[in-house]
Amino acid sequence: MKIFLIGAGQVGATIVQALQDDHELTVLDLDESRLAALSQRYDVATVEGNGASRRVLSSAGVAACDLLIACTSRDESNIVSAMITKAIAPRTTTIVRTTNPEYLEVWREGQLDVDFIVSSEVETANAIVRTIAVPAARQTDVFAEGQVQLVEFDVEHQADSRIIGVPLREVALPPDSRVAGIIRGAEFILPGGADVIRAGDRIVVIGSPQAAVAWGELIEPGTGKVRDVVIFGAGRAGTAVARVLLEQDIGVRLIEASLEQARIVAAELPRARVHHATGLDPDFLERERIADAQVAIFAMRDDLKNHYAATLAKVHGARFTVAIVHEAASVEVFERAGVDVSINPRQVTAEEIVRFAHDPRTQQVAMLEGDRFEVLDITTRSRSDYVGKRFKDMPIRGALIGAIVRDGIAVFPHGEDVLRPGDRAIIFTESRRVSDVERAL
Amino acid sequence: MNRGSAGRLAGRAPSLAVDVRGSLNVVGTLLTYLSASTSVPAGFAIGYGESPWPFLAAGAIAGGFGAGIAFATRGEHRLGVREAFLVVSLTWLAAAALGALPFLISGDPQLDRPVDAFFEGMSGFSTTGGSVVVDVEALPHGLAMWRQLMQWLGGIGIIVLALAVLPRLRVGGRQLLEHEMPGPEIETLRTRIRDTARRVWILYVALTALLFAILLAFGLSGVDEEMSAFHALAHALTTIPTAGFSTKVDSIEGFAAATQWLILVFMVLGGINFALMFRGIVRRQPRAAVRDEELQLYLALLAVGSIVVVAEIWTEDVLPAAEAIRVGLFTAVSTMTTTGFSIADYNTWPALAMMTIVGLMFVGGSAGSTTGSVKVVRHLLLGKILRREIDQTLHPELVLPVRLNRAVVEERTLRAVSSFILLYIGIFVVGAALLAVDAARTGLPLTPFDAVAVSASMLSNVGPAFGIGGPLGSFEPFSDLSTILMIALMWLGRLEIIPIIVLLTRHYWRNV
Repeated sequence: MKIFLIGAGQVGATIVQALQDDHELTVLDLDESRLAALSQRYDVATVEGNGASRRVLSSAGVAACDLLIACTSRDESNIVSAMITKAIAPRTTTIVRTTNPEYLEVWREGQLDVDFIVSSEVETANAIVRTIAVPAARQTDVFAEGQVQLVEFDVEHQADSRIIGVPLREVALPPDSRVAGIIRGAEFILPGGADVIRAGDRIVVIGSPQAAVAWGELIEPGTGKVRDVVIFGAGRAGTAVARVLLEQDIGVRLIEASLEQARIVAAELPRARVHHATGLDPDFLERERIADAQVAIFAMRDDLKNHYAATLAKVHGARFTVAIVHEAASVEVFERAGVDVSINPRQVTAEEIVRFAHDPRTQQVAMLEGDRFEVLDITTRSRSDYVGKRFKDMPIRGALIGAIVRDGIAVFPHGEDVLRPGDRAIIFTESRRVSDVERAL
Repeated sequence: MNRGSAGRLAGRAPSLAVDVRGSLNVVGTLLTYLSASTSVPAGFAIGYGESPWPFLAAGAIAGGFGAGIAFATRGEHRLGVREAFLVVSLTWLAAAALGALPFLISGDPQLDRPVDAFFEGMSGFSTTGGSVVVDVEALPHGLAMWRQLMQWLGGIGIIVLALAVLPRLRVGGRQLLEHEMPGPEIETLRTRIRDTARRVWILYVALTALLFAILLAFGLSGVDEEMSAFHALAHALTTIPTAGFSTKVDSIEGFAAATQWLILVFMVLGGINFALMFRGIVRRQPRAAVRDEELQLYLALLAVGSIVVVAEIWTEDVLPAAEAIRVGLFTAVSTMTTTGFSIADYNTWPALAMMTIVGLMFVGGSAGSTTGSVKVVRHLLLGKILRREIDQTLHPELVLPVRLNRAVVEERTLRAVSSFILLYIGIFVVGAALLAVDAARTGLPLTPFDAVAVSASMLSNVGPAFGIGGPLGSFEPFSDLSTILMIALMWLGRLEIIPIIVLLTRHYWRNV
């Protein structure tokens, strides 16, 4: 595949590293030294120039490429690049990186002619939520803008006795959720009402964020819900994380040094508790019992400040710390300092773009158990045989519809519900059946 | 150095920072327009075979005086924020004076003293409803209808001035109103407020006409034997403005129960924000209207107040059940909406009921309604401010915006709300004390509790209070000094204090 990449910064470099082996890459940037550094390390073509200029784009040969990735740090420039490319080459797939979640919103409403938008802030927020939302989970994946979660649990002996050894049809499962699979050693069960969960099983659950939390409480009582998260820094990154957490009914305290920004965020997020403080004042940390928070997230703009604040919070007894770091090298520094998780938004963004570049057919795919199972996110065609059928009448063929997204809202279907054309189905299936499922829908 | 320019620099500073001439010009013009309203009672007087001259003379005198002032102060003016305070304050005094003129000219024995007539005029235009008249039914029809008409004009005046004039001048509840009317309707400020005023006008006239039609139907169909066409019009004119003058000595008590229920419903309507009602009824967005926080609290407070009063007079065996419900509800609603109609003498009710009635005087209806008093939205915001203060005592760094209908309310507005309520309480306390002292001086049988109730009732534009100023009493026995004090309280309450208080500050009048 011919791929055109605009922007050779941290995100661009990570993408080049991941894609250069399998694809033919052209990298465009204003900064000659960055291009030189890339072309020395990898076999890529480079063009020096402005990616938002039609003249530069067409003379660099954008018309012949299959995929355009615009990942400079300037949102507007990325969007212009994608739009010019669409005009020159309508069949080219375009991916745009943005830091402003508003563009993501506009794009979702179909107002932006771009095939795929990756928002660093939202991806980072989702990554953090995946890490902390369900402490008992082995792995968490998020679909449909966070409305659907797929969670993998190892069922141990401490799990709630009401779910162990009882046929599933007799268990009061958390609402809006279903058991998508039971993995018992090498055996895989796509569970029906008669199947039982046993200690030692690994189970896969699809459900709403609330249901995922309820499941966590069943599997490992006492760990269930994260209630108290402190976020240092209410800039874009901190606000995006807070918004995602609040949507999942997780209590959030934000600490912001600028009064003006604190006011803006407090107005925007009514349910968050916003403090106007630096977060570096021991008296404040003590008085507000910051150490009692289950998770402390450091999302200030400056890695040095985050580092100091995280260390200070640890000194005060913070249990679990997550840092958003901006320099690639910082990841290691933070981990050395005892920060539990550090996330680099540029890294996360690059990974997301790479994932999409590999397989742009389906909106979002997750792999489980290595590659034994896949979760597909497929939009139903109107000609599908399944349209108009009730879910309980659909023949089970090693696949399970965990949720459908109808008009942007996730619905967790019951047996009597009917599949409609245009529904986005979140499907859990064995990898070997993927093509069957795709054909059927 | 050029001496000429230095001379200009050091030239005489203008003595006043306010354009008094320009303000008087506006007041004169407004008075001229307002004096035309005397033609309505003149028509009634002719119809009932009474002399129309008191009205025509009053109209001519006030109109001529207003036009004279306007003519004498003609020319270029600088009318802005400052002048508005003066215009509003003076216009309401002028209106009350116009209201007094027909009483004085007619020489009716119940209203022939200037102070009493001025009280009646202020009580009329401010929609208070307290009266110095002992026997309303002895008044000629023309004068009786003039009292009702003043209240109707005063009711619309609140709205036109408060919504069309005051907000543009940034006095009082403009920002509050902005929060109540969000959405795409907001164009430029000027057109929006004019539009609002126009809509409110339409709704006001329509509701008045509707109530008149139903009351008339009650009378004609025999549902209410007492309800003549005259009474129907008279009470339609003073219910929607939540004003409270009646053309009957015993207020609403003599009318049928059905009439009382009907008037109760329209008092409740009069206490709702008219812009919101317009949205709910005319724009057919009832859901958006019902979700309004102020409306919800307004209805909740009405319910709580009514329940307390009803329970108290029922359990204390003041009245049998069915009557207790009607009388208790009516009294609570009439007091809280600052109307002041009565269907029972609550002077002898148990203590809790009496305290509740005085408490309800401080509530009022919604902002942008025809009611007086503090208004529900201010209570709502004050409650939110207090909750925030308590939260911040423990967490001093917390940033907590106060929201009204989800939108964040500016800190300035919150400060204005708190100061307004403090001023309100301060003036109420001083008023009560002065009334009590003056009563003691003149030997008026006014208990301290009565003085408290009268001060609250006047400032909140309710009307009746307790004791001699109670629902079946009259303010006639009060001394001239007390009467003037009560006039001042009504004036302050009607204009929501600030425009008048501002006039008392040095820097209103002078730049340095």
